[in-house]
Amino acid sequence: MTQTDILSSEQDDLRLLRESVRTLFERAGGSDRARQLRDAGGGFDPEMVRELAEAGVFGVAVPEDQGGLGMGLAVGGIIAEEVGRVIAPEPVVLTIGLSLGLLRRLCPDHPKMAQLIGGEISLAVAWQERGPGGAPADATCRYADGKLTGGKAWVVGATGSQGFLVVAEQDEGPVLVLAEADADGLVIDKRTQADGSSSGELSFSGTPAAELARGDAVQAALEEAVVDTTALAAAELVGLSGRAFEITLDYIKTREQFDKPIGSFQVIQHRAVDLNVMCEVAQAGVRAALVQMDSETDPKVRTPIASRAKARAVTAAKKITRDAIQLHGAVGYTDEFDIGLYLNRALVLSAWLGDDTYHRRIWFEAREAEGAAQ
Amino acid sequence: MTDWNAMSDAEFRKEVRQFFEAEYPEELRHLPHRPKFAEIEHWHRKLHAKGWVAPAWPAEFGGMGLNAAKLLIFYEEQQRWGVNRGRDMGVQMVGPLIIKFGTREQKDYWLPRILSCEDIWCQGYSEPGAGSDLANLRTRAEIDGDDFVINGQKIWTTMAHDATHIFMLVRTDPDAPKKQQGISFLLAPMDQPGVDVRTITTLSGETEFCEVFFDDARTPRENLVGELNKGWTMAKALLSFERIFIGSPSLAQNALGQLESFARGRGAFDDPVFRDRFAQAALDVEDHAALYTRFADQLKRGETLGADVSMLKIWVTECFQRITELMIEAAGPDGGSIGPLQVGNVSVDVLASFYKARPTTIYGGSNEIQRNILSKAVLGLPG
Repeated sequence: MTQTDILSSEQDDLRLLRESVRTLFERAGGSDRARQLRDAGGGFDPEMVRELAEAGVFGVAVPEDQGGLGMGLAVGGIIAEEVGRVIAPEPVVLTIGLSLGLLRRLCPDHPKMAQLIGGEISLAVAWQERGPGGAPADATCRYADGKLTGGKAWVVGATGSQGFLVVAEQDEGPVLVLAEADADGLVIDKRTQADGSSSGELSFSGTPAAELARGDAVQAALEEAVVDTTALAAAELVGLSGRAFEITLDYIKTREQFDKPIGSFQVIQHRAVDLNVMCEVAQAGVRAALVQMDSETDPKVRTPIASRAKARAVTAAKKITRDAIQLHGAVGYTDEFDIGLYLNRALVLSAWLGDDTYHRRIWFEAREAEGAAQ
Repeated sequence: MTDWNAMSDAEFRKEVRQFFEAEYPEELRHLPHRPKFAEIEHWHRKLHAKGWVAPAWPAEFGGMGLNAAKLLIFYEEQQRWGVNRGRDMGVQMVGPLIIKFGTREQKDYWLPRILSCEDIWCQGYSEPGAGSDLANLRTRAEIDGDDFVINGQKIWTTMAHDATHIFMLVRTDPDAPKKQQGISFLLAPMDQPGVDVRTITTLSGETEFCEVFFDDARTPRENLVGELNKGWTMAKALLSFERIFIGSPSLAQNALGQLESFARGRGAFDDPVFRDRFAQAALDVEDHAALYTRFADQLKRGETLGADVSMLKIWVTECFQRITELMIEAAGPDGGSIGPLQVGNVSVDVLASFYKARPTTIYGGSNEIQRNILSKAVLGLPG
C-alpha cells in the first residue's frame, strides 16, 4: 500500500476504526482518565482493555488465519496515534507489537493468542537485562528443568498483567517461556516512571515457567517484534505530540497578558508554527515508515525504517512537549494542567526501546552496512 | 496531439525521462548558475520543437496541458536529471496570467513569442521598500495618451540584464484606500531609453540579480493585463502551484548527496558527532519527502492546496541550509575556499552550495512571512 492509498482508503474503514477508538477513549474521559489512573496507583483499566478488544484493536496486525484482522502495522499505527492522543495507559502498543508479535510468530496456536486478542488478559514481555553498571547487558537469565533463574529489567506493563513472556537462555540457545504473575520465586521490583506507570525489575529464583518456543526462531521473532513495537511506539508519540500541540494552541489563544491573547505575539506565533510543522513532518514520516514496513519482509530493511520512525517521533515529542510547558508559562509547571501529563508520558515513551540519538545510530549503521554490502 | 493525462503515471514518467536522458546536453546538467539564454538556446530549440516548453499550459495555447499529477512528474524528472529550467519566467508567470486574464489579442500576440523565447521575460515585483511587504510597492504607471508612463525602481529582478521584457506590478492608483488596491499588472519592453539595468553582485560573486530603474519609460496601454487596479489579486491567484514547487525536496536531496560523497572522501564519518548530525539531516530530508508526498497526493486527487503547504518551504529550505553548513564543517580548513574541492573522484564546490542555500529562506516569501501566514491562516492565531 502506498501512502496515498492509506490516506484515501482512510475515507472508509480506516477512518471508522480511528473514530471508534477515539470515541471509546473520549467517552471514557480522555486524558482525565489517564490522570485518575495515575493517581489511583498507576495501572490501567482492564475494562477498557476489553472494550478496545471489541473494537478490534489488539488483533489488528495478526493475520486473519490466526484470528486477527490482518490489517498490518500501518493500521496499528493509526490506533497507536489515538492511544497517544489521550495518553492511555493500557498496554495497546505493547500487546499489538510485542506480546502478540512474539506469539504469532512463534506459537500462533497457543490459547493465549485468542485471550490477548479478546482483551481477556495482558502479558508483559521480559527480554532485556541490566548489567552491573546499570546499562542494558547481554542475557544471562537461565531456563532449565521448567524453571527460571536470574533477572529481567525494564519490563513495561508489569502492573496488571496476568503473566510474563520471558526470553531466557538454554544450553541450546534462547527460549520463550510463560511465567504466571503469581508464580513462586518471582519478585517484582517496580520502579515508578514519570507518567506514574511502572517499569518492572523481575528476579526469578527457580520460578516455574512453561516453554512456548526455542531456538534461533526465538531470537529472530524477538528482534522483529521489537522492531514493530518501536515503530508503533513512534506512532503513539505522534498522536501524543499532535494532542499536546492542540492543547497548547488552545491555551495561547485564550491566555491573556498585556490585554491581549499571548498567541497574538509574533514570537509565540512563530514558535507555534515551528511546533506545528514538527508535528506534521513527524506524522507524515512515521506513517510513511509504517506503510513501508508493511511492504517489506527483510528484517535488515525493516529495522532502519523503524529506527527512522522512532528517531523522528522522539525528536518531535521532546521538542513539542517541552516547548508546550514554556508556552503555558508557570501553570505548565503545575500538575493541575494536563500538558504536564503529556510531557511525562513523552519522557517514558522516548526512553522505551531507544531514544532519537540511539535510533539515528541504528539507522546510520544499517545504512552503512547496506552500502558496504553493495 | 498527445493526451498526456491519459497515460499512466509510470508510462508518462518513462517518456519524459527518456527524452531528457537522450536529448539534454550533458555539459548543462546540474548547472550551478542561472544561464543566459544563449547558453541554453540549443536545448530550448529542441524543447520547443518537441512542444514541451510549457508543460502546464493548456494544449490550445501550445502547452502540454498536464494535470497536477503529471506536472509534478515532469518537474521531478527535470530535477532528477539536472535539467535547467531555462529562462522560464514567461512560461511560469506571464503565460498563465495572460491565459487567465488576458484578451484574445494578448494571447495571440504574446503566447507564441513566450514559447519560442523570442521574448525573454523577467519579473518586476520587489522594490527597495517592498520586499516581504510587497504591497508597499511604489513604482508608478500613469496613463499618457495611448501609453503608460512608468517611473520608479525594481530590485532583485532575476536576469533582467538578459531579458527583452519585464512583467511588473505597478501602482496605478496611489489614492486607493488599501495598499493592495490600486496595483496593476503591466508588460513592458526593456529595450528603451527610460529603462536602465544594473547588475547586483551577490555574496557568491554571481550577477544574476539586477536593479531596474524606470525614468519615464513607456509601454502601450494594451499591455495592461486584466483590469486596471486589480493586479494584486491576479498575481496572488498564480501562486497556488508555486507554493508546493518551492517546497520540493530536490534541492536538499541533491545537497545531501553531495555532502555524503564529500564527507566520505574526507573521512568525516569517522567522527561519531558528525555521523549523528549527518543522520539528523538525512532523516530531516527523508521525512520532509513524506510530507511533500502527502501534499502532492492532495494535488493528484484534484484538491486545492491550503495555506499549510507553506510548511514544506520552511522545513526544506532550513534543512538545505543545515546540510550546506555541514559540508563546510566537513571541509575543515578548506571551509573558506572558493571553487571546487576534489575528493577522490568527486568534486564538490562547498561554498557554492552554501551560498545557494542562503537566499532560499528569503525568496518566495521569507520564512518569517511564511510563519506569519501559517500562524494566522492555519493555526487561527489572532492579531
